[in-house]
This record gives sequence, structure tokens and C-alpha cells, in this order.
Amino acid sequence: MAPATAPGAALADASPPALLVRGLSHLYRSPAGDVAALDSAALAVGAGEFVALVGPSGCGKTTLLRIAAGLLAPRPQPGDAAPTVELFGASPDAARRGRWIGLVAQEPGLLPWLTVERNVRLAAELAGVRADVPALLERVGIAEFALHHPAELSGGMRQRVALARALAHAPRLLLMDEPLGALDELSREALRLELLALWERDRVSVLFVTHSIREAVLLADRVFVMGERPGRVLAELDVALPRPRGEELVATPAFVGLESEVRAALGRRGAPA
Amino acid sequence: MSGEHRPADPSAARARRLSDAAALVTAAAPPVLALAVLVAVWEAWVRLGQVREYLLPPPSAVGAALVDEPGRYATAAAETAAAAAGGLVLATVAAMLLAVAMAHSRAVERALYPPALLLKLTPIVAVYPLFTIWFGFGLWPKMLVAALITFFPTLVNAVVGLRSVDPAALDLLRSLDASPPQILMRLRLPSALPYLFAALRISVPLALIGAVVAEFLSGDGGMGQLILIANGDLDTATLFAAVVVLVALGVLLTGLLAYSERRVLFWHASTGDM
Repeated sequence: MAPATAPGAALADASPPALLVRGLSHLYRSPAGDVAALDSAALAVGAGEFVALVGPSGCGKTTLLRIAAGLLAPRPQPGDAAPTVELFGASPDAARRGRWIGLVAQEPGLLPWLTVERNVRLAAELAGVRADVPALLERVGIAEFALHHPAELSGGMRQRVALARALAHAPRLLLMDEPLGALDELSREALRLELLALWERDRVSVLFVTHSIREAVLLADRVFVMGERPGRVLAELDVALPRPRGEELVATPAFVGLESEVRAALGRRGAPA
Repeated sequence: MSGEHRPADPSAARARRLSDAAALVTAAAPPVLALAVLVAVWEAWVRLGQVREYLLPPPSAVGAALVDEPGRYATAAAETAAAAAGGLVLATVAAMLLAVAMAHSRAVERALYPPALLLKLTPIVAVYPLFTIWFGFGLWPKMLVAALITFFPTLVNAVVGLRSVDPAALDLLRSLDASPPQILMRLRLPSALPYLFAALRISVPLALIGAVVAEFLSGDGGMGQLILIANGDLDTATLFAAVVVLVALGVLLTGLLAYSERRVLFWHASTGDM
């Protein structure tokens, strides 16, 4: 287990990482007193790397992701040094303006008045690029629902649409915030395998926020473990499992060993995967 | 828009339409029957009880009044409908414009909400003499009354609607660097439509009341004037006929609204239980 103080140190001499976060603290203001959501959080996502961020609910994972996406400005503790948040060496705002980010959240956030096809096309239109929408829908397995509206789809289908929409403008970094979190267990397993296959073909850089240890180990090249209140990165683990990976991997000793390492880092032994 | 997401199976669609029609008949039969019984009892009571016609005319006399001069009622109803609908459009456009400004800026909201509330609390009827001084007679002052009565509910609902966007969708649009006008057109306005229709369901009857009251006050055309004249003549059959026409007008406008709501809001959960 590498120390949390130097995440992504191995990448230091390469081209700028897809995401580099150092010394990131964030205070939420509240009438009852400020709440520290993040405390000197640090992590890195190398170019073409799939990185999972695991932590208990409310540990600040979503806050970190929203700051990285340029949706939230960090508000450090008074007196703290300014944090580093860089995407490919640029600021989150610059990354957003360059349309480098693809966002998938727990809620699909589809526009209910648009068809599946128009929902996906919307992202490309806003980014000002052409997109082969039928091919995108084909890739996420919902081509036959192109003309349906979101209300006619299951939760798993809607997340597929959200994924296709996030890929529509060919982003450089996918930010995924518990994308499978609202799904039932069966759709969840099916979708994470498809996500795995999809990513292993394209190798776009991914930061994948989850509270599922199994999901993190199965999908990621590297796992960062976050602790609770205030959120700080406790550990960084390399997942040296061969690719392509499949569901059969979860029964292997190596996988189970990694799972328990993550669980130990989270400090809650025996929690469900 | 509404048809394209339905699976194309003509026989299933026909079967659904048939069962819809059967359901409509089943739903409509009890109230229609109840109304028919009420009219029959009323007619019998007036005839057998020797009620004086200027106090309560029998339904047959009300029907005769309608049939005698259909053109008179049609013209008056059209004038009232024009004032109500014109006022409604005026109020909706003005309320939407103001709501967009208020939804984007708390400062604008804080500045303009109290005056809007004052407008709501003003008895518009009391202001009407001013309107006749400023605008004279005709359609405009009547439209203004209908507009002022319906402005506030539309404004409040529109502001809430423009703000009630799906946060996940808003994040997505912002992550793609969508501009505020793009977010307004692509997300906020469509999200506000269910709230706008809810406001219109309140506003349609209010606008009719506003138009008729303005016609009472001005004595200038429409159903309001027709009622004033009939009242002066103690012509209760015509008074009842006018009420019937106004009810029909309300039903027609509400029906049009419900129809367009189903067309526009096909994607929204509320359209199922209109």
C-alpha cells in the first residue's frame, strides 16, 4: 500500500495527468457552523487510467468530483494554501470550456421531454461537435430505444443513455459519480460488466466514485480510499489484475485479497462489498 | 411529438381507443344522469308548484331563450371570450418575462416580488374606473382586468417552475459549458411548463370572471352587458341562459387547455390524471 502523501508520484515525469488534486480542502457554509467536506484531499488519474475513489457515504467524494468538473469552486479553510486541481495541466474551468469532461452521476439527469436519441445529441450540440449518435446508442446497447422517452425506460436503461450522452462529445476525462448506485443489484452487475468491456476498448481516463469495494477493485487500475468527515484520502492501492477482466475474477484469491485491503483501509472490516 | 414514442401497433391502438371511449361513457354517465334528473325535477317543480317565472323560470324557458336568439348569445360570448383569452395571453407573457428575470436574480426577485404582491392584493374592480379614463371603452380595459387578475398566480408558478430543474440535468449542462440562455431554453423553460399549465388551470376561470366583471362595470358589450340588460328587464330566463352560456364557455376553455396540456406535457407524470 503506497502512502497517501504522494499519489500518482510515478506519473510525475510523464505528460500531465488527466486529473491532479493536491491539498484540496472544502468548507460548506451552514448557519449551524461550517462543515469541512474535504481536508487536504489528494489523488491523481493518469492519462488512460481507470481510477476508483471509494469511501463511505457523505465523505466528500461527490464534492471532490464536482470541484474537478468545475461545477463547484473549492472553499479552503482560512489560512490554507491554495489547492491544486488540474485536468491535463489546466484548471477545471478551462477543462469545462474545452468540453474535456464527460459527466455521469447517480441520477441520470435526462431531459424527459426529449427522446433518447435527442438527449444524447444534445450533449454533442452543446459541445459544438458532430456525434454518431446511432453508433453511440449501439455501443451502450440501447439502439432499439432511440425514439423512446426516458419515462419508458428502466433505471439501468436510463443510465446507459446517460453514459452514451457523456461519451457523445468524445471527452478526455470521464467523471462518474456512483453511476450504478441507484440501480437494483442485477442491473448493477450487468451494467458494470458492460462498462468494463466498453472501457477496455476505449481506455478514456476515468475517475469513478463508488461506495462499492467490489466495483472499485473490479473496474479500476488504482483505488483511492477516502475517510469520513472531513474527507481525506487515506490510502492508494494498485490493482494489478490482468485485463480484460470478467466477473469470474471476483472469486480469485488476488481479488479477494485486494478487496480486504481496501476494506481494511476503510477501517470497517466485514462491511458488505 | 406525442405519437412518436408509442409502439406502432394499429390494432392495439384501436383497441385502446375503444376501451378509452367505453371508460369515458362509464365515467360520464352518472353526472349526466344526475344533471338530467335535476333539470326534470326543476321543470316539474316550477310547473306544478306555480312558481312565478320571474323568480325561477323552468328549464324549458331557459332553453327557449337560447334558441330564440342564438346570435345574440354567440356575439356576447365571443366578446367575453376575446377579453378573457386576450387578458390571459397578456398576463402569461408578462409573468413569464418577469419570472425569467426573478428566477435568475434574487435581487430582482426581492425588488419586484412585493410590488407584484401589492398588485395581487389590490381589488382590481376598484381600479377599473381609472382604466376607462385611461383606455376608454372596448376590448383593452376588459383585457387588462382579466390580465391583472391572472398575472400573480402565473408569476408565482413560473418562478417556482423555472427554479425546479433536475439538479443532475443542470450539472450535466453546466459541465458542457452551456450558457445561461442555453440553460434557460433547453432546461428551465421546459421544466417550468407543468407549473405554467397548473397556473393556467387556475387562471382560465379567473380570466372569465375578470372579463364579465369588467363588462358589468362598463356596460360595454359581452356577456356582462347582456346580463345587465336582462336584469333590468327582470328577464330571468335570459339571465339563466347567460349563466348556461358562461358555464359552457368555461368548459370549452378548460377543455382546450386540458387538450393542449396533454399534447405539450406528454412526458410529464401529471398528464395521466387530468
